[in-house]
Amino acid sequence: MDKILIPRGLQRTSFTKFLIWIFPWIALLSLGIYAIYLCLAEGLFHTNMDNRFAFGIWIFLDLTVIALGAGAFFTGFLLYILRRKELKAVINSAVVIGLICYSGAILVLAVDVGQPIRAWFTFWHPNVHSMLTEVTFCLTCYLIVLFIEYIPIILKNRQLRSIPKFLVFEFELHKLMPVFAGIGTFLSFFHQGSLGGLFGVLRGRPFAFREELGIWPSTFFLFVISAAAAGPSFIMLTTWLVEKITRKQLVKPEVYKFLGKVSGTMLIAYVLLKSIDTLFWINSTSPGNGFPAFEFYATQSFGTWILFTEIVILGLIPALILLSSRLRENRKILLGAGFLVCTGIMLNRFVMTIQTLALPTLPFDDFLTYAPSWEEVATFLFVVAYGMLLYSFTYRYSVIFPQERELAQLNGELSQQEFADSGNAKKSWQPKFISDLLNKFVSTKS
Amino acid sequence: MLPWVYEFHWTAFHITFLSIFFTVFAVVVSTVFVAVKRTQRAEQNRTMDEIQWRSDFADLSPAMKVCRHEMNGDVKHRVCDHGFDCRSCSVHPLLISKQTKTPLLQFEVYGFTMPPYRMYHRGHTWVQQEDDGTYKIGIDDFGTRIIGSTYSVELPPIGTRLSVNGKGMVVKKANMDIRLLSPIDGEVIEQGDSEKGWYLKVKANDSKKVTDHLLKTDEVPNWILREMERLQISMATSGVGITLADGGELVPDFHRHFPNADWDGILGQMFLEA
Repeated sequence: MDKILIPRGLQRTSFTKFLIWIFPWIALLSLGIYAIYLCLAEGLFHTNMDNRFAFGIWIFLDLTVIALGAGAFFTGFLLYILRRKELKAVINSAVVIGLICYSGAILVLAVDVGQPIRAWFTFWHPNVHSMLTEVTFCLTCYLIVLFIEYIPIILKNRQLRSIPKFLVFEFELHKLMPVFAGIGTFLSFFHQGSLGGLFGVLRGRPFAFREELGIWPSTFFLFVISAAAAGPSFIMLTTWLVEKITRKQLVKPEVYKFLGKVSGTMLIAYVLLKSIDTLFWINSTSPGNGFPAFEFYATQSFGTWILFTEIVILGLIPALILLSSRLRENRKILLGAGFLVCTGIMLNRFVMTIQTLALPTLPFDDFLTYAPSWEEVATFLFVVAYGMLLYSFTYRYSVIFPQERELAQLNGELSQQEFADSGNAKKSWQPKFISDLLNKFVSTKS
Repeated sequence: MLPWVYEFHWTAFHITFLSIFFTVFAVVVSTVFVAVKRTQRAEQNRTMDEIQWRSDFADLSPAMKVCRHEMNGDVKHRVCDHGFDCRSCSVHPLLISKQTKTPLLQFEVYGFTMPPYRMYHRGHTWVQQEDDGTYKIGIDDFGTRIIGSTYSVELPPIGTRLSVNGKGMVVKKANMDIRLLSPIDGEVIEQGDSEKGWYLKVKANDSKKVTDHLLKTDEVPNWILREMERLQISMATSGVGITLADGGELVPDFHRHFPNADWDGILGQMFLEA
């Protein structure tokens, strides 16, 4: 039915199956729209956040998806600036994922602020002393850059390609991608950093407060490096997931290994710096603010296990795995390590938001518990559903993985070869098979 | 106070922050503007065909971009990066000068009629020089067989300027439009049809290198062998499944025997259209 829109020579599932696939996501999207409507139209009392616990699931997930979406800028940087051509195979996917993550995060932020009509205030009345102003400006600019980077992917659609103007525009825009990659890297460095930089001003929260190195706190750099470590791993995992769902090989094994290596390299640097930062915080920053660090872990449900899990189990171990070329050869181990990296980033962002606010800071404070309301969860699920739909439509009607066609041919060639080499072929080389085949495929001339 | 910025003050922090922001914004806007301007210029300079081909060529797999000299055995491995236009390739003249093969004069190549007096384009069109210096263009036998019997051809009007690897003609079959690449540069001076055996007569540009990039008769067997393999593979990945077709020849209306195959994809691949 929609064959005319599907890229030539690529196999896609039937339209009916595609409809069945997108239906649950549309249902989830609808639920999310309703939840967003409630929060915006009736107010933020629909959430379980309050003045005391203002960092809820939305901020946690915002920080997480922005870190996971960092694959877009980091892959662009490696491909267009450092000329690592291997990554051409996943750059489109990285851009789509980045666009989903960033647009989703901004949408959730807009709901979180609760006054979408006044969203422009942040641009018109910028508080230039606030890290979050930098975040707002950089996020908005980078989202525009991501959207521009997404345009050539849409214009790869078969019908759009047939319009000469679009084809040429796509071609010209593609030639200018290094400029956008450079801007994207610049913007991402600052907004990822500024999200971490926020903890340099959280003096009232000694659990998360970090002292400044120059003008930025250590978390500024830790957020940048951890995002650069998680981004490639997330691309690796999503690519694998798409391969599993579509039952097709979409990129060559070397691409996975390279992504793993990049992720491992960044992660080991992160683990090293995070360890130094933690030791400094334990021995200097925290006691200096009147809180022996281990008090934060002593009586609460978040014990030291969470610190150990974050740095060792979800940091050091996957870093060592990803740095081992022998272990990278094993796809399951490689993906397992990638999963640990992404989980580690999630845990880190959780610690820096939810745990930070849950811990008491005054003698009369209690340990706070928070569970998101269904509206908060549904709003987040809206982003997931929107992401799945955008990715699914882009995959179906455009070319996300440039190696897909080549790999389909290679696999076709291998199938032919395997078939020819197998006993089946030999058995089949009997009158019925060969006569059927020849009648269909070739005409013999003696 | 700067325009558009509320409560701006002439402090180092304000100036730095807003300068960076406006610089980034200006770079983004101007880059998009450059892309739009280049698109307009391409339209005016009629380089659309070239861009379309460069875009299509970039999307071809390395296996489809094998250099003619690899097919001939002149080099072990080489992927074309000149869009099959050997006239702009610096290696091609060197390799051609080393060739010592005697041209074969065979009409039949693996069952296909490929007359030796014609030159062949990788997109399955042929070129034949006439006595008056003009060139006839047609679809080669391989291309004709995979297109099948029932089709129509949309030809460029007389006076149209063709460019190598630009749109030469469009084959219309069922719901498919297949763009065939022009094998040479020149101006269309006459239209033909399938009964005449050729589709276009072209007055070539005044260049000695009009046909240098085309495959000559002694290159055809190796190329056709590769094309047979390519067809076999694209069929295996286009809904036909595994075929084992070593030996034998393509039937004249190959298309008819596999009505359920993804012919749009197969023909797109064989005629080098992404």
